[in-house]
Amino acid sequence: MSASLTEQILDRAHSAVVSMDESGVVTYWNPSAETMFGHAREDAIGRAVADLIVPERLRAAHVAGLRRFLSSGQGPMLDQRIELSGVRADGTEFPTEMTISAFQDAGRWSFHAFIHDISERKDSEKEHRRLLDELQRALHNSERRFDAIVGSLTDAVTIRDRDHRFLYANSAALAHLGFATWEDLQATAPAEIMADYLVWTENGNQVTMDDIPSVRILRGETAEPLLIRTIHRQTGEQHWNLLKAAPLLDEAGEVEATIMIIEDVTEQKRAERQNAFLARAGAVLASSLDYEQTLRNVAELAVPDIADWCVVDLVDEDGDRHQVALAHKDPAMVRRAEQLRAYEPERLDAERGLGRVLHTGEPRLYPEIPDAMLVDAAVDDRHLELLRAVGMRSVAIVPLRASSRSLGALTLVNAESGRTLDRFDLELAEHVAARAAVAIENARLYSERSSIAHTLQQSLLPVELPRVPGYELASVYIPAFETTEVGGDFYDVWRVADGWMIVIGDVTGKGVQAAALTSLVRHTMRTASEFESSPARLLARVDSTLHDQPSRSVCTALCIRLEQDRATLAAGGHPLPVALTAEGVSELGEYGPLLGGFSKATWRNRVVDIRPDTIIMMYTDGVTDAVGEDGIRYGSRRLHEMLRRCRGRAAAQVIASLTNDLETFQSGSHADDTAVLVIRRLPMPAAPTVTDQDRVPAPLARGAR
Amino acid sequence: MVRRADLTIRQTGLRESEVILAISGELDLSTIETLVDQVDTHLQRRVDCLTLDLRDLAFMDSTGLRLLIELHDRAQHEPWSLKLIAPRHDAASRVLKITGADVALPFEPENGR
Repeated sequence: MSASLTEQILDRAHSAVVSMDESGVVTYWNPSAETMFGHAREDAIGRAVADLIVPERLRAAHVAGLRRFLSSGQGPMLDQRIELSGVRADGTEFPTEMTISAFQDAGRWSFHAFIHDISERKDSEKEHRRLLDELQRALHNSERRFDAIVGSLTDAVTIRDRDHRFLYANSAALAHLGFATWEDLQATAPAEIMADYLVWTENGNQVTMDDIPSVRILRGETAEPLLIRTIHRQTGEQHWNLLKAAPLLDEAGEVEATIMIIEDVTEQKRAERQNAFLARAGAVLASSLDYEQTLRNVAELAVPDIADWCVVDLVDEDGDRHQVALAHKDPAMVRRAEQLRAYEPERLDAERGLGRVLHTGEPRLYPEIPDAMLVDAAVDDRHLELLRAVGMRSVAIVPLRASSRSLGALTLVNAESGRTLDRFDLELAEHVAARAAVAIENARLYSERSSIAHTLQQSLLPVELPRVPGYELASVYIPAFETTEVGGDFYDVWRVADGWMIVIGDVTGKGVQAAALTSLVRHTMRTASEFESSPARLLARVDSTLHDQPSRSVCTALCIRLEQDRATLAAGGHPLPVALTAEGVSELGEYGPLLGGFSKATWRNRVVDIRPDTIIMMYTDGVTDAVGEDGIRYGSRRLHEMLRRCRGRAAAQVIASLTNDLETFQSGSHADDTAVLVIRRLPMPAAPTVTDQDRVPAPLARGAR
Repeated sequence: MVRRADLTIRQTGLRESEVILAISGELDLSTIETLVDQVDTHLQRRVDCLTLDLRDLAFMDSTGLRLLIELHDRAQHEPWSLKLIAPRHDAASRVLKITGADVALPFEPENGR
């Protein structure tokens, strides 16, 4: 240190500043050092630092440290804040905090210490201990110790004084805040801890220190529990916490400290949000045959709740890939990412990234994308620039798997949210991918089958369900998986003289023959109904037509004639419809013989009253025969339970609930065709206002066209 | 991926002309061929009576029912008779009950064998 200007500044410093030379002798001593240690500058300069201010028990270490530094250049204590005891002229010891720096000038070392007396702070820590002791006593009349109880709580518990300094934190709180020891926590300012995290409320608003319940209490406000979502800036780990705070009052009734309980609700929130997403995605996937549009809708649903980006790529039979969906909440970012496409080869490298997932069919999670990975992937500088601009932090890629090959992949990317994707995100992505794959496969098979037997297929299902006054109808047709044949399930709705005829049925067998038979059955019924609107007699007509066929032809059918407030029905070898009324769930009608199966069979009509809000579900055995884990069938009991939960729902919603329930239940894909038709009598008869039917597109059908 | 069901067929009768097949497991589109093949093999020999014992059948769908109806048709026109023993499990008897086949097909009365 050469400039006297420096000394002039240091002379005015609030900190005590002490300099020494290589031999450990004091060369500079400022006025604050005089006050702190009680030695005048004249007395101090020229004396050994060790003798002057280092407590006797630490002198040997001091001398050894200086010697080690001079011989090896190793100074582990240098340039950081350290706590050391000092000794005053009167021999008393006191706690100090100091920073020591070393400088070399003309080949010789000099050392400079900036020293603070922290007695007061230590005293206030003692005061905190005292306060906490009191608190513990106050909280415990019994022998059990406070920490033994609070310390073992899995919820994080912290107590802070009026300056937000921690008085207490149980081990769950230490772990939660990311500290190994209580001392580490104490050494960190509360604002610093918060700065390590991105913190939001549930609806995405930024949370500041002022919003924290304990801080609000100190401001004299009442603090409601606060649900926050935190993302650790460094690790990208996401947590959901419920913060609850209460004041601790002193004898005068003033807030002396606040106690805060931090409940980790990450798992519940994750499950809640994932289920909500899956339910919505399931409904979207079931809503249309246009699978590319459907996938785009699902991708849009996923951002930004599930991930910042959601991308869906499909691969055709030749192995060429097509990106069908790219979603981000900011359209500008979407445009930027679209530029990246120019760099992506249509044929992918089977060794890495998306190509690898498509090739192996195994999902991949890249929790952290280091810059080196981008550099490695970049084709040129512009490419690298774009990749960096997107700012990928974490990526999950899951395959869309069909029976024998990968149809494509779904990719989740997190960037600006800073959150890393974890195995739970990967699981969620796999669930969505499984549903998406089924939807794609169904849609593709459906269009293949359409091209095989287009004309016949057209005749199997109505293009659109007609509107029946006072009622709403919705239907779904889910073709069997892994088949390119025309299915045997059918339904039809048409007007007759005294109401509406609604039929659902199942022709056993598959392929063009089954389709021809379906067509025959439908046309027989329609034609016969011009003269005859008794469901039982219509079934008898179909039965005799089937008996006239050259080979044994059988078919099940359920036929309902719907009038304003009643229905007449007859079943021919078909499961009975299930009704949800004010009284609960029950089957309507009675079993009748299979059509075309037996000689001398007869059918009977049953008439039931249909009150407003009644829901009637007609279905084929693909529903009840659906196979779940361990080969268990969905069965009529589950169907009844499902319907029981549908009270007050629109017909299309009932269909969506059923298809969701079936998809959740099923361990594989639909082994059999499944057709469902739901009739709901509208709540107020013939009300000319907006009804659910106007709001919900009908039919909500995956296969119905 | 469509699940493949299991079907087990055991021949329990001792006499060649009276074939008794005890069928257990699941009878649906994915397993029906196994049963069709076995039955055809037996009917190509001289058989007076074919009994299908469905007591232990866990599941049957309309495909299984259709086979029973076709066998019943054949037995009307060929010199052999068909006997059926009703399934005990609901998932197998349901389709028979719904379609009226439990009455229309030649099921043995309870305990009759």
